[in-house]
Amino acid sequence: MRATFPHLLHLDIALGILYPTLGIEIVPPPPITQKTIEIGVKLAPQNACFPLKVTLGNFIEAIEKGADTIFMVGGVGPCRFGYYGQMQRLIIEDLGYKVRFVLLDHPRYGIRPFLDALRTMAGGRISLPRIIKAVRLSWGVLRFTEELEAQRRALRCQVENPQNLDQVIDQTLEALRSVASLEELEALKKRAAEEIASLPRNGRKDFLRVGIVGEVYIAQETRVNFNVERLLGDLGVYVHNSVSTVEYILHTLRPITRSKEKIEAWKLAKPYLKRFVGGEGIDSVGSAIRYAREGFDGVVHLYPFTCMPEIVAKGVLQAVSRDFDLPILHLAIDEHSGEAGLVTRVEAFVDVLERRRWERKRRLEHDGAFPWR
Amino acid sequence: MELFLGVDVGSVTTKFVLMDKTKRIVASCYLRTSGDPIAALKEGLRYIERHMPEGGVICGVGTTGSARHLAGVIVGADIVKNEITAHAVAAITKVPDVRTVFEIGGQDSKLIIIRNGVVEDFAMNTVCAAGTGSFLEHQAVRLNVPIEEFGKLALQARQSVRIAGRCTVFAESDMIHKQQLGFGKAEIVKGLCEALVRNFINNLAASREIEDPIVFQGGVAANQGMVQAFRDFFGGKKRIIVPEEHGVMGAWGAAILAMEYAPEKTAFQGFSVVERNFTSRSFTCTDCPNACEIVVLKEDNQVRALWGSRCGKWTPETATNRLEEEEDTVPSLVFPTECVPGRCAMHG
Repeated sequence: MRATFPHLLHLDIALGILYPTLGIEIVPPPPITQKTIEIGVKLAPQNACFPLKVTLGNFIEAIEKGADTIFMVGGVGPCRFGYYGQMQRLIIEDLGYKVRFVLLDHPRYGIRPFLDALRTMAGGRISLPRIIKAVRLSWGVLRFTEELEAQRRALRCQVENPQNLDQVIDQTLEALRSVASLEELEALKKRAAEEIASLPRNGRKDFLRVGIVGEVYIAQETRVNFNVERLLGDLGVYVHNSVSTVEYILHTLRPITRSKEKIEAWKLAKPYLKRFVGGEGIDSVGSAIRYAREGFDGVVHLYPFTCMPEIVAKGVLQAVSRDFDLPILHLAIDEHSGEAGLVTRVEAFVDVLERRRWERKRRLEHDGAFPWR
Repeated sequence: MELFLGVDVGSVTTKFVLMDKTKRIVASCYLRTSGDPIAALKEGLRYIERHMPEGGVICGVGTTGSARHLAGVIVGADIVKNEITAHAVAAITKVPDVRTVFEIGGQDSKLIIIRNGVVEDFAMNTVCAAGTGSFLEHQAVRLNVPIEEFGKLALQARQSVRIAGRCTVFAESDMIHKQQLGFGKAEIVKGLCEALVRNFINNLAASREIEDPIVFQGGVAANQGMVQAFRDFFGGKKRIIVPEEHGVMGAWGAAILAMEYAPEKTAFQGFSVVERNFTSRSFTCTDCPNACEIVVLKEDNQVRALWGSRCGKWTPETATNRLEEEEDTVPSLVFPTECVPGRCAMHG
């Protein structure tokens, strides 16, 4: 068995440790490029959402590299993500490829198929200690990749030379691929923290702060969303991303595990959105409210074009924006999105935030003392 | 006298504004880009040089528009800003209590919401041509009406024809259909203006509240038929202002931003730029399947700027080597130097 899986930012690093430890040979798809997107767009139905197209491109490229088994997750719910796996299986079968499609659905939709799929994904035999060891290490690696990306977003506007920051983080990510034990992971963490701390800072303290909310794939996958976070960072903005694969997994496996962040976001969203609308609709609303409370200057909402849950969230976010006086930029991404238009919009959004801050300061100086002093 | 230069290189037209310290426009020009922004920039600079007042010194330069980065390198800009900010700044300067800005240019249209002199929200349409000046120009050609006469013709209509304006392709077939039913040109032109207004409001305004005074600017604001169509749309209840400088508002905004930015020493390259030899060349990087198109801007043999690479691996030296390699391997396409007018498919 030569298994493959879809890309999602640095998920391949964690899975590249998990599967080989379980004794499964893997063929990771090549990095997402324009070619991946073109393959997916050509083969998928035109009105399918963008993540389906990109992940389909991943599968085809991996099959061409020699993969014969595909691991995919599924689900049932108001979001189309639930039938990604089924649809991709049909498309790949129609193309005449001889591959095995292993679909891991949520256990609440049938415990038998779930256990069968899990057994296949776990290498055929369930040896509990081995699985626990492999899961612990790859989970730690996945967490660390997200921490590194969080540092990149936060520090891009604060270091003297962002290229050095990229270099340190990219090198650490590369080194993570060959981590074999938790001790090695800890050592790598320590070294990365030291290297990042030693980067010369530019001493800025007055940077704008922007939060990213949206759909789990588009909001995270920088190779697809035109790297909005880097664009913001280069404009001198501190960026925080509320979307994370770690939290997504923790929340999906509830009640076994729990995601504090998601529970908080859902609670905050309650006054605006009471019911589950599929995907990350509620999370987007709740996270935007959290950013408003934490005093962020603005929010960027990233989602695939025609994504139903996020369109619901977009409508609700307009009320959030008004109530909290929080500017929100909505960006729908698909294969037709033009980079020039997106860059102009993001630049203009940062200008809006800057002018607002400037105006507020001017008015405070004009009207006298701070009202809360 | 301290002067500031604003340059707006758009898809269809290139605009220059020369402004003094009181934000008054000293000279301005409005040119066709005609697909060659470098030539348009040089032509504009020549015009500004001729109209420089005596004793005037350029102390700051701002560029905007879709070719703002290119213009910034060639002219030597102190500040490079996006069109939305530039247009908003100019509108606020002209009409301090402005609450909404409509800007319709050649390739895109913008709606900017302003409250208390600060931009609060904006929307921009870059995907669909049905809400832009190009749409009107294209239809004017079909109707055989010069674009300058288009607006006046619309005002002559006693009634209008409803034309589906959601998409340029359908608008065209609908327009031909209405023509064949026997409607007059003026009625059809008026119908087109109304279709464009509906499209603008549907696409950009969505759920945003449009409050007056509204400043209508951009090349299309010169079209009286469009102004009237907007007035009719709001039932005459909203105050719509078309500033005299409507065509060069973006460039004016860029000049104001350059003044606010107040550089100690300007990066302006001087008017001698027009004598210099700029060429832009491009190649497709084949190192990964991303196939980035790398554009290299050269002055004589020196690389002045390069962009288009996603990973950022290209340096002036490697890009130059690559271009030379390409010249060696790919035989340059030879075009016939002369063609007979009337017989040539391209020029006839």
